[in-house]
Amino acid sequence: MSDAILEVKNLKIQFKSGKETVQPIRGVDFTLKKGETLGVVGESGSGKSVTSLAVMGLLPETSSEIVDGEINFNGKDLTKMKEKQFRKIRGNEISMIFQEPMTSLNPVFTIGQQLSEPLRQHRNMSKKEIEKEIIDVLNQVGIPRAEQIINEYPHQLSGGMRQRVMISLALLCQPELMIADEPTTALDVTIQAQILELMKDIKDKNDMSLLLITHDLGVVAEMCDRVVVMYAGEIVEVAEINELFDEPRHPYTRGLIDSMPTQNARKERLYSISGQVPKPNEITKGCVFANRCPLAFDKCFEEAPPVFEKGDHISKCWLQDSKEGEVV
Amino acid sequence: MVEEALLQVKHLKKYYEIPQGLFKKDIIVRAVDDVSFTVNRGETFALVGESGCGKSTTGKTILRLTDPTEGQVIFNGTDVAGLEYNEMRSLRKQLQMVFQDPYASLNPKKTIKQILMEPLRVHNQFDEKDRLQKIKDMLEIVGLSKDYLDRYPHEFSGGQRQRIGIARAVILQPDFIVADEPVSALDVSVQSQVINLMLDLQKEFGLTYLFISHDLSVIEHMTDRVAVMYLGKIVEVADTETLFKDPKHPYTQALISAVPISHPAENKERVILKGDVPSPANPPSGCAFHTRCPFAMDICRQVAPETKTFSDGHTASCHLYTKSEEEQKYVTSDSK
Repeated sequence: MSDAILEVKNLKIQFKSGKETVQPIRGVDFTLKKGETLGVVGESGSGKSVTSLAVMGLLPETSSEIVDGEINFNGKDLTKMKEKQFRKIRGNEISMIFQEPMTSLNPVFTIGQQLSEPLRQHRNMSKKEIEKEIIDVLNQVGIPRAEQIINEYPHQLSGGMRQRVMISLALLCQPELMIADEPTTALDVTIQAQILELMKDIKDKNDMSLLLITHDLGVVAEMCDRVVVMYAGEIVEVAEINELFDEPRHPYTRGLIDSMPTQNARKERLYSISGQVPKPNEITKGCVFANRCPLAFDKCFEEAPPVFEKGDHISKCWLQDSKEGEVV
Repeated sequence: MVEEALLQVKHLKKYYEIPQGLFKKDIIVRAVDDVSFTVNRGETFALVGESGCGKSTTGKTILRLTDPTEGQVIFNGTDVAGLEYNEMRSLRKQLQMVFQDPYASLNPKKTIKQILMEPLRVHNQFDEKDRLQKIKDMLEIVGLSKDYLDRYPHEFSGGQRQRIGIARAVILQPDFIVADEPVSALDVSVQSQVINLMLDLQKEFGLTYLFISHDLSVIEHMTDRVAVMYLGKIVEVADTETLFKDPKHPYTQALISAVPISHPAENKERVILKGDVPSPANPPSGCAFHTRCPFAMDICRQVAPETKTFSDGHTASCHLYTKSEEEQKYVTSDSK
């Protein structure tokens, strides 16, 4: 259980827009252990999707650049890999489920044609074997009348069905690592419950590791073993799931948990974090969260906090500094 | 608080026809099919349901943004559905709407000043010189600086835009606001800011909200009464607390159980529904929910259930409760 399947070390990503360069990811570190579900939480603009695209090697080549850092997958550094080598891994050993199932399926190909693509890429199989494999996987994700569905187009399916097709697409080559980027955000609650249940099942059955990216703490509470909290391109806290909810160390994590409606008395004002996530070009010195933090003191505006470790619980906040510890 | 009905919706229907060509029969989509409810002055009434259940259409039909096919909407004693265009237009002083997508509902070519000036101008409120002051006051109330007056919507974040959308609705000091998924496009931390703003405004101006949402945790937090919709029909109405404690309709039970837990140690019994919402163009016969209902009986496939009243203001439409008492006990204890 303990060996890491994915290690992201000090990852820094830069984007060029016109003459300016912005750096939405500034030093991200985390490890995903084999067989575990790691949640990445953060609001829009916190850099969680960019991180996942970097792991998949899907960042736009012309406008982005990995300035520094490593992404180690099973001991291989993905950032150094050439496109041709990457193709052997992508969809085969690592696969991804996207947020919006309608835009990520191609509307002019049938489900069967789209599902056969990863198998044709990575496996040496005859047409008959491919079809059998596809129907197997479709049945596994709970799609009824799979034999007919493979001849239908994405628009003929409902949102929940399309997301099931996306999951089966990601499953086909039995990847070791699955990245799910907001897999249920576009779905209704009852369908969300179905899909989450399905993902849990599939993960256990196929012995995969799952990197789950979401902004919904409820989904995290439901699915994850450990959680990474991102804010404005940095990781502010990493903790085991129960520990994160019981004693969040970073004020941002605490704010996120406290602002869930279920954590507040009915009809009362909700706890809220004032202000909004800074844009990458607005970030100055000091802690990124300082301008919204209710507990910020002088040091926070002067110097960026280092990583404080307490066992497996990592947080980036001056309050965790033993000298300032009593402030908490 | 004396309960006084501000808005009564009676047997509201909104059908859309899809032409199938010259010689074929048109398909009729029953987006809202015989919906009745009452909203009391000063309360927050929620419409909840999944996408495609007709909750937004209901909201729009109440404001006559689309015309109802049949039925009455009685606001403060007047039947909105029967009004002339001009009368309706002046009535909108009292009936306003906040839209879901703050990116799409503000005109990108207008400044904030122009956006907020428009309702005042259209409804001829205040003297021209006082209007600007009124706008500045309103911006302050919703928590934006008056320096923003000459900026354009694209310069704002989602949360700020939603504040502008709310300011635009509240500036006429309406009695009634239809809020169609006002927070679902926003991030968690911003969502709580906007909910707080709506609660504050309600206290300050004595507003009545029709709150349309699919997010049950938000509904549980800020509404007084809830109507659950499924495929164009209301299946259950109850006080918010009663609904979450003792949901009667199997759909409500499933909906509440599908809400993600708020703490990892929480252990929740799940009713996982099978399948998807059927198309409203071709709804199932009898009770529309029978295709996904874990308790479906033969009668559900044939006859649409009648509405049954349980206690004060708690009604549900389900065959489970129209049967004899004994069976009912068996089923309810089974479902828990």
